[in-house]
Amino acid sequence: MTLWSVAAKNTLRNKFRTTMTVLGGAVAVIAFIMLRTVLDAWNVGVEYAAKDRLGTRNKISFVIPLPKHYIDDVRNDIKGIKSASYCDWFGAKWPKDPNEFFANLACSDNIFESYPEMKVDPAVLERWKADKKGAIVGDVLAKKLGMHVGDKVVLTGSIYPGDWEFTVDGIYTAPAQSPVDRSTFFFHWDYKNEGAPAQMKNLIGWIVTRVDDPSQSAAVSASIDKLFDDRDMQTATMSERAMNNSFLGGISSILDALNIVSVIILVIMMLILGNTIAMAVRERTTEYGVLRALGFEPGHIRAFIVGEAITTSLLAGLVGVGLAYPFVQMGMGKWLEENMGQFFPYFRVNPMTALLALVLTVLLGAVASLLPAVRAGKMEVTEALRRIA
Amino acid sequence: MSAIVELKGVSKTFYRGKEPVPVLENLDLQVEEGAYEALMGPSGSGKSTLLNLIAGLDKPTSGTAKVAGQDLTNMSDGELAHFRADKIGFIFQAYNLLPVLTAAENVELPLLLTKLSSSDRKTRAKTALRVVGLEDRMGHYPRQLSGGQEQRVAIARAIVNDPTILVCDEPTGDLDRKSADEILALLEKLNKEFKKTILMVTHDPAAAERAGVIRKLDKGQLQ
Ligand SMILES: Nc1ncnc2c1ncn2[C@@H]1O[C@H](COP(=O)(O)OP(=O)(O)O)[C@@H](O)[C@H]1O
Ligand SMILES: [Mg+2]
Repeated sequence: MTLWSVAAKNTLRNKFRTTMTVLGGAVAVIAFIMLRTVLDAWNVGVEYAAKDRLGTRNKISFVIPLPKHYIDDVRNDIKGIKSASYCDWFGAKWPKDPNEFFANLACSDNIFESYPEMKVDPAVLERWKADKKGAIVGDVLAKKLGMHVGDKVVLTGSIYPGDWEFTVDGIYTAPAQSPVDRSTFFFHWDYKNEGAPAQMKNLIGWIVTRVDDPSQSAAVSASIDKLFDDRDMQTATMSERAMNNSFLGGISSILDALNIVSVIILVIMMLILGNTIAMAVRERTTEYGVLRALGFEPGHIRAFIVGEAITTSLLAGLVGVGLAYPFVQMGMGKWLEENMGQFFPYFRVNPMTALLALVLTVLLGAVASLLPAVRAGKMEVTEALRRIA
Repeated sequence: MSAIVELKGVSKTFYRGKEPVPVLENLDLQVEEGAYEALMGPSGSGKSTLLNLIAGLDKPTSGTAKVAGQDLTNMSDGELAHFRADKIGFIFQAYNLLPVLTAAENVELPLLLTKLSSSDRKTRAKTALRVVGLEDRMGHYPRQLSGGQEQRVAIARAIVNDPTILVCDEPTGDLDRKSADEILALLEKLNKEFKKTILMVTHDPAAAERAGVIRKLDKGQLQ
């Protein structure tokens, strides 16, 4: 028997109450882990952004295009870049389900040089380059919409009116933890340009460049913007990380809210635990008086109470992590990646999140018990004993 | 024989809000080492208060208290805790065992404050339970014991650290006659065989009879 084991045994004193508290805490831990994992999933694109990749867009806004010849200027005049490609947002719909959202991009033929994370068979790439109406489709999207290599598919234009016919030449895939969406539909910019109305010809949405030396990214990006500084359309060039961040910008307030909510959940748990502990301590006033009479000191009493709280919250944390981890890892995460890949390309519990949940739970449990512990330590022994005699 | 308890001019005043409640007034008391004394008096006369002062649970408002060779009057709370752990064994009316611990663990509890090894603690607890005749109930929880048995476990807990003085606040108050007599016989044995000084508060004249000295407390004074 040790002082610690006495505290632990006290935890099991009221089994029903402890069980309810542990379950309540576990639910909070699960909610915390889920929210954190959503945040992590959103941030994967930012975290894993390539350091050598730059994006150039119209300085005014994403939605305003750039003249096509800007790509030539970049390729000819900018030093220190490996490749420069370009894309345009096509915005066509899947006629069978117009609500099905996926990116369809009209890009230069060398687009896959800019994204080495995307794995495309070289033979497929050759075939695609030779096929005017060819498309290369992300594996997740292909699976979802039932597209197969060789299929003819039709998309309904919205920005560019009319029905557009494509042939699926191949499928690309990408590692889970990459900023690359596995649900994009790539096809040739030239094909789009041919079919575009006169006033929408020779425009591109953005330019993607890869620099030779990532440490020179800032200098290269400045030189690109300087190149177009005195043209009638200026550009804004930024690192992929900054670009992804600015994409997330629109939902950043939601992310902040989630962040706050995840903390609030744990604080609520702490209050519940604090209340349970305060109740238990009040019931045991006499017992603490007896311990003091036997020669135990206020520090021992505080340790008993904090020890009990830590035991309870550790149990809650372990149960919560023990339930959330397999649930997300084996069920929910996989489902989200497959069905909502463009939002959650990688939805898995980061082991650090699980650890954080555990540590925070124990820490907050200890904090929750501080007030009752300090009060119990200050109690007059004779007062505590008089409650019975 | 020398005095093991020596109170001089001890007063104790409680405050109920701002209003002073004098309980003990200029009280003197000497208890010889090895004595077995009973303390009687009406309810609210200050018996428990007096016992608490002797046991180092509380300090007098004025006067001096010397117990087991130590002057309690100027001790810090920490020093008083050590004094209680070393010198005092407590026996309460309501037994006050911890319900989550077995009889043996309850007896071992005060030894957690010592430097004894785990096996030494267990041996000592077992010995103390043998003295009170409950060796065969070591693994029982308090709720599995009768009132008399619970009180005997409490006595084992009080003697396990080999204290100099046993203070008992109405130790038989919750017990039937037969169990009460067993407890009183046990206290007598501890006094005679183990040379413990015993101070016992009681309402029961039959219990008081068995002590060597009976003192009466009334209106803040010993009669
Ligand atoms: N901590 C305290 N605060 C205020 N009054 C107290 C306190 N302890 C005891 N008293 C008062 O002191 C008196 C004596 O109490 P006590 O020593 O418990 O009496 P007894 O044990 O003889 O019945 C009572 O009037 C009681 O209300
Ligand atoms: Mg009393």
